[in-house]
Formats: sequence, C-alpha cells, structure tokens
Amino acid sequence: MASAARPGRSGIALVTGAAQGIGRACALRLAADGHTVAVNDVADDGRLSELADRIGGITAPADIADPAAVATLLVRLERLAGPVEILVANAATMAMGPFLDQEPEDWWQQIEVNLSGHFRVVQAVLPGMRALGHGRIVVIASEWGVIGQRNATAYAASKAGLIALAKGLARELGPQGILTNCVAPSYVDTDQLRVDAADAGVTLEEMRARYRRLMPVGRLAEPADIAAAVAFLASPGAGAITGQILQPNGGSTRARA
Amino acid sequence: MSAPVALITGAAGGIGAATAEVLREAGWRTAGLDLRPSPTDLPLAADVADRGAVADAVDRAAGRFGRLDLVVTAAGYYEDGIDVGDITTAQWNRMLAVALGGTVNTCAAALPYLLDAGTGTVVVISSELALAGSTGDLHYVAAKGAVLGFAKSLALEVADAGIRVNIVAPGPTDTPLLAPDSPWRDPAYLATLPLGRLVTPAEVACTVLHLATEGRMYCGDVLSPNAGAVI
Repeated sequence: MASAARPGRSGIALVTGAAQGIGRACALRLAADGHTVAVNDVADDGRLSELADRIGGITAPADIADPAAVATLLVRLERLAGPVEILVANAATMAMGPFLDQEPEDWWQQIEVNLSGHFRVVQAVLPGMRALGHGRIVVIASEWGVIGQRNATAYAASKAGLIALAKGLARELGPQGILTNCVAPSYVDTDQLRVDAADAGVTLEEMRARYRRLMPVGRLAEPADIAAAVAFLASPGAGAITGQILQPNGGSTRARA
Repeated sequence: MSAPVALITGAAGGIGAATAEVLREAGWRTAGLDLRPSPTDLPLAADVADRGAVADAVDRAAGRFGRLDLVVTAAGYYEDGIDVGDITTAQWNRMLAVALGGTVNTCAAALPYLLDAGTGTVVVISSELALAGSTGDLHYVAAKGAVLGFAKSLALEVADAGIRVNIVAPGPTDTPLLAPDSPWRDPAYLATLPLGRLVTPAEVACTVLHLATEGRMYCGDVLSPNAGAVI
C-alpha cells in the first residue's frame, strides 16, 4: 500500500534546486523509494554530478528563471528518460532586508526564480503528466509564505504565491489525475541558516539556538524530515490529498494556517 | 526491539479498521477499542464515552504489549439531514460525548504511558466539515471542531515531552458511516470535488501511518486526505 510502485506507466522525478539542502535530501529519498530522479540546479558545479552518480539519476542543470533553458531541459529529459511524473518545486533564492531598503531588482529576482521559475517548470512538465494520465507536483513552500516574516517580503510573497498557484493547480488538474500540494517547513538545518544569521548579525550557532527556542518540539528539522513529507505526497497512499499544505514545522506556527 | 504498538478507537469498521490493517501490514501490533469486536491483535469492548471503561481498556492494552507508541482516535458516528433547530439535547450530548469525549477520554488514559516513554504519537481523526462548516449536521461539525481545538492545544502542551499530537481531517470517506443514500455519495456532489470521488479508508490510514512513522516535525498540524473538498 505504501510502496512506491504504481500501476500504469510511470515517469521520472524532477527536483529543482537539488545541489544542496532540502532538494538534495528529496532526491536521495525519492531515489531510495525507487524513482529515477533528475537533479536540477542553476549549474552543475560538481555537486549535481556527484549526486546523480550516487543515486543513478540524471543531471539536469538549467536556470529555471530562463524560459528557454527550462524548455530545452524538459525536451532533453523526456528524450533521455521519459516524462516527469513527480515534480518537486524546491529551488529558491532569498535575500533578506527591510522592504524599503531592498533594491527593486533584488526584490523581483526572488519572485522571478521562486514563483515565475516554477510557473514555467510546471508548464513544461504538464504535457508529460497529461500523457501519463497522472502526476504529482510537490511545492516546497515556507512557513514565511503562510504567516509572513519581517525583512523577507519578497521571499514570503514568492512562497505565498506558490501556495496559491498550487491550490489553483489542484483544482484545475485534479480531474486529470494530477495532484498538487505544498510542504511548508519552518526552520531547517541547512546552509540557509547562514543567510538568516548574517541578517541577524549573530553566529550560526546562536541562530540555531534562537530558532530552536521558537519550535515547540525543541529541535530544528533536518532536510530528511522535509523529504519524508515530500515522499509521502508522492506515494500512492496520498492519492486523496490535493491542494493541501503539509507543515512539518515543529509547531512553530502553532499550525494556525 | 519489539514491534511498535498502536491503540485505535473505532477499530471495528471504517477508518479505524483500515488503520489497523495498514499498521499491521507495516509490522505494528494493534489494540482496538470499539463497542464491537475489531480485527486487531487485542479487541477491547468499550464505549469511548465511558471514561472508566476507556481507562481500563487502555491499561489492558499497555499491560498486554508492554509498550504504547501510537494512539488513533477514530471512534465516532454521523447523523445528517437534521435542521439545527431540530437537533435534540440528547442528540447533541451524545455526539459530543462520543466524538469529543471519546477523544479526551482516550488521550487522558493513554498519555501517561506515552509521557513515561518520553515519545509517542497521537493522531486524532476530525473532519473536513470542521474546517469548512456544513449544514444539516451541526452537532457533528461542532464536535469535530472541538476535537480540532483540543488536539492543537494538547499538541503544544506535550510537545516538549516528546509527544506529537496531530489531526487528520478526512473528506467524505467510503465507510459505513455514509449511508447508501447519503448526499455525500451523490454523483452530483462528487462531481464538485477536484478528484471526483470519495476518499478510501486506506488513504486516511496511510496518512496516519506517515504521521506515526515519519512525523517527528509535525506538531498540531492538520493533514487533509479529502479529495480536494477543502483547499
């Protein structure tokens, strides 16, 4: 029941932003569950090849903010390994700063990559999912896209936009057997914490301690915790879940949304 | 390492029975509280509205297996097609006693075992109707909404003790709770759902299994296998 085996034709999984952190953990987990995984990031600096070798996957470098690059990538993947059945929309860029202090270009770049980039990736994978007759789209959103965060207006807007996009897609694509959901983590022990620490002007260790105090469960999530939620949403047992936000966030939002 | 143990209320049918089956397939041992015999390793006859009977049953399960890892509160019943003004006091009280009282009684009896172990999971079954409201079943909706508030608060209360409490809020599910002529089975209603069908009990059970096995970062969250009924 909970195995990754699925009746009918199956396709590959595509994880954007897979060079590190949550994306890498998702690729490792989906591969362990039996999927062929294409690993995307803006470029292959060696980490994508290493990961693809390790999991028997496919490197898929492309800047998702570049529409032509996304289209070219999907043509190549489809030719190489078939249609995408599972999309993990994870890639994200983030720059923290007070709203009025951020340069408009820096503000909009976060929308361009996180929201518009994945809009294009979804457009590109949909014909393949429709051909298969089923598919799963899992968007890595963020607690900050649910409840907002100071000094992160662009990032929060991009993630909130992704949540609304996922809900709309769920309604529109559900009748076609394509399920769309979000996972909204809060504080995960990844390199992203260094950005937060720099913004707060504290050490990485102090940042970890501060975040732990915000978590009712008293610990930060590991990337594998988020990957487990993604793997569940990609599994046959999650076949009735669409348009939802899973929040493995340690209770940081008190699940108020 | 002995196999983990789940205690499931309402285990004789529907979502409770499916949960027992999925857990057993995953290697768990199961105890089932129900008015009727349940397909579990340890069927225990009890009315969840009876605090003393629930406490006795939970003690027996913990005594038999020597451990308790997961508590699933699925016991309940459904009544609809009743205008709010026509819901009798007896109907209202019984619904609250079973849906809310049953959840509270089971948690009260089981939590000491989880707290002693310093780990464990509680999964409370609510309903999408508690999230979105409904008509003709106000006592059910109120009781399931109360369950939601109870579970979210309990989650915060025991989080630092290592216990995870979360909620599963299914959409209309293909169980005996929905009569053959239930409006929730009407094709015209189902056509309004993004997935166009009822949820299967096994899909609810798989959500419970996810929370029980890989859910250490969920705390007071609501998971909704609902076919898109509430987005």
